[in-house]
Amino acid sequence: MDTQSLTLSLSEAVYAGRQFDVMPVAGEEPVLQITVSGATETPVYLTVTETQILCLVYLFDEKEIQAARLPELHESMLRISVPMPLSALGKVGEHYVVYGALSPTSSESDIMQELVTLADNAIDLLETFEDVLA
Amino acid sequence: MRSVMKKIMTAMRGGVNELGEAVVDNQSTRIFEQEIRDADNELRNARRELAGLMAEAASLARQIGNAEAEISRRENDAQKALAAGQEDLAREVAERIVETERQHVDLSHARQRLQVRIEQLKARVQQAEKQLAEYKRELQVVKTNERVLRTTAQIDTSMNSNRSSLSGAKETLERIRERQQREEDRQNAHVQLDKELSGADLDEKLKAAGIDGSKQAVDDVLARLKGAGSGSN
Repeated sequence: MDTQSLTLSLSEAVYAGRQFDVMPVAGEEPVLQITVSGATETPVYLTVTETQILCLVYLFDEKEIQAARLPELHESMLRISVPMPLSALGKVGEHYVVYGALSPTSSESDIMQELVTLADNAIDLLETFEDVLA
Repeated sequence: MRSVMKKIMTAMRGGVNELGEAVVDNQSTRIFEQEIRDADNELRNARRELAGLMAEAASLARQIGNAEAEISRRENDAQKALAAGQEDLAREVAERIVETERQHVDLSHARQRLQVRIEQLKARVQQAEKQLAEYKRELQVVKTNERVLRTTAQIDTSMNSNRSSLSGAKETLERIRERQQREEDRQNAHVQLDKELSGADLDEKLKAAGIDGSKQAVDDVLARLKGAGSGSN
């Protein structure tokens, strides 16, 4: 699975009543920005490596969090990460992210399920952690 | 290159997580990849050597078996010669037995030495396989880490150049609420439209004004029944 064939197939697809708006992110790496209908505020970024298809959504930056509540946030994030379907929480640079990694041999519907789940989870997470935002 | 994961963690805690400050630079990644390829080749050679040694050991085992068979056959011959009083012939056979026994000892020693080499090589191959798998996994961690950093840097650049998508979590939440409100409004409008089309809203208004269509109907039926009853009298 590569980003080009994904762009083509996702643009036409409907999964669980959701549609996908796919846009390549300019730059050297093949990265797609995928907006899922019904969760357009939390675009999913997707990249394909040798070992995995990595999908991630930015939640917030560290500077957006009340400093005093960081430990509490981290504790909650660790706890919520396990039961959250098809998603895990992480941090890249200053960005807190929710992400999912799939095998490069995943089917299109696996990928679509991941995208829909991630975008929806991102919204739930933002609402959940709203009170620790500065 | 050992324990790459620890190196990455240390670097990240130290805040080294920017592009251009790669934890493990490209040059060493390439060297590491080359080392893995070399180790892969060595491992293949070692496996081939091992296969050769094992074939040799099998051949020695066969030769030892043959020597043993030869010895017992000749011992039998010698006994027969002795029984027949052929002392000289028996001596000749005994000489052959001594010769074969010496061969047997030589073969057995060779086989023992070979067995030791085989065991050593097997252990080395196993160790190398384990090490190589570990290197490959570590290389994957390095490469994925760099890939994620490059990817997010690219996303950040793209977001920064596209003002509309540059927003904090609070603005995002606001936009989520606006959308949810829009969806709710649309849902309500649908319900309203359905009511209007079915006339349900008119019924509601009439009811509110004290004009209940169904109550009226009951009254009408009662009046009709009463009228019919008086007519039969």
